[in-house]
Amino acid sequence: MNWRKAKLIILTVLILCLIPATRYYQIDQPVMRWLQGPNRVNPADLHLAGEFVENNLGTQQDPDGSVTVRLIAQQYLFVPHCVLVPAGVPVHVRITSADAVHTFALLGTQYAVKALPGTITEAELRFADAGDYTASCAEFCGAGHFEMRSELKVVPREQFPALGPGKRGGCATQ
Amino acid sequence: MSSSLLSAQEKEAAVRRNNPEWHLRGDNRLGFRSRRLPGLAAGILVAILLAAVASTTLLGSVRAGSPDHVPSNVAWTAATVAEASGGNAFRGLLLARRCEHCHGSEGFSPVGSTPNLAGMDKLAIWKQLEDFRDGKRSSPVMVPIAQSLSPRDVADLVAYYAALPIYPDPQDNRVFPEQNAQAGHSPIAFRLVAFGEGSRGIPPCQACHGPVGYKVGAPSLATQNADYVLNQLDAFADGSRANDINQPMRTIAALLSENEREALAAYYGAGLGLQPVGASGIAPKQ
Ligand code: HEC
Ligand code: HEC
Ligand SMILES: [Cu+2]
Repeated sequence: MNWRKAKLIILTVLILCLIPATRYYQIDQPVMRWLQGPNRVNPADLHLAGEFVENNLGTQQDPDGSVTVRLIAQQYLFVPHCVLVPAGVPVHVRITSADAVHTFALLGTQYAVKALPGTITEAELRFADAGDYTASCAEFCGAGHFEMRSELKVVPREQFPALGPGKRGGCATQ
Repeated sequence: MSSSLLSAQEKEAAVRRNNPEWHLRGDNRLGFRSRRLPGLAAGILVAILLAAVASTTLLGSVRAGSPDHVPSNVAWTAATVAEASGGNAFRGLLLARRCEHCHGSEGFSPVGSTPNLAGMDKLAIWKQLEDFRDGKRSSPVMVPIAQSLSPRDVADLVAYYAALPIYPDPQDNRVFPEQNAQAGHSPIAFRLVAFGEGSRGIPPCQACHGPVGYKVGAPSLATQNADYVLNQLDAFADGSRANDINQPMRTIAALLSENEREALAAYYGAGLGLQPVGASGIAPKQ
């Protein structure tokens, strides 16, 4: 093996060693944000503009029959506190956190969606039948973590109210 | 003579043919052609710019129809926190003469429905004054007052009220409100303050209002007036006060029964919120 090859290998190993370092010092954050494209938000101003303003939270009916649910996780609540979705259609969850890391875990199902400050997590859930679920925070987030619970109600497709354009559904619109 | 007839590319190709190790030499050591680097960098920059523009326009067009409902124009960024906590308490003391006859000379109000401001968290007072000014929180009394204050006045008043003591000082004879701990104690309030109620998704009050934990912008309620606390809980529950960022209080107050709101108001009005209670604190004496 000649010296040039050895130098190349040493250089490669050094660069590989730098990757965990960039993660540790969060040098990669801007790059990650950029790579994540539109799925990045500022956790401090979710309420001012953009996707997570108050009247855009809750369930949205999509043209293809599926629904999109937008949620904010914060210490120590999920907002909206009760989510209404129809059975049998894809439920696209878009969730972000206003502070710490939380997890929107639906007890008794295999679903758990992590909510991170600064990014929007997307997940697709499906519920075959109607039923009521408890969503619980599954990531210790502070003094009120154990009471951080909310509801998710699945109703038969026919019973889900027809929402007008720009309108968002919740348990109150049932 | 013949070399002058060759173009630059042809010259280079000839050099490479004659030197199989051309890429290990001189400025081409790593195998890239340095002449292409500026072009490559410019290309990457343009791509980043295009992606950034695309992502912002996409974000902007997520929703059509109804205008945004913004609960408060305050966002807890570093600049906001710096502005809210950079006041001059002495100037605030002079300005506070305007507030005295309602909020009390020592920040303890003589009227139950007017809040005590003594020792209140800086960010909390600042946010409420901003919200009054922007009309995000309604009050026929406070809106015009807040609108007459300059941003500097607000910061100075905040510094003054936040610095006022909440405990009586044996050195002076200021009057502190009477606290009747017996009257405020109830198992309903104790349970909600200490543990919340997991089955209904109500977090413990003391996790956000102290003394166990503080959420940004959540004031301590430990020395607040019972009437005021009850009025605010009712206002959050029916939505007539809707300035809490990301709706924690509107959600919680709506989950509480009228009975529970009254018990909580009496609990805080009696000064019981000063001590942490439950697993993390000391239970108050029965
Ligand atoms: C005429 C009486 C009056 C005067 C003068 C007055 N206030 Fe108020 N203030 C009130 C009342 C009443 C409320 C409660 C409003 C409500 O119920 O929503 C209040 C609320 C507040 C709050 C909100 C407190 C909280 O816990 O959310 C702040 C902060 C405040 N006042 C600051 C001031 C300052 C600073 C001044 C002087 C520049 C002042 N007030 C002058 C009557 C007054
Ligand atoms: C998730 C955190 C959280 C919990 C839990 C919580 N609060 Fe709050 N509360 C807040 C925040 C944040 C505000 C400030 C709202 C604003 O910005 O206007 C607030 C404001 C209030 C106010 C108005 C105070 C004022 O001076 O204007 C009262 C009263 C109140 N909360 C009572 C309670 C009671 C009683 C409980 C327990 C049942 C409780 N809160 C639980 C976060 C919380
Ligand atoms: Cu949590």
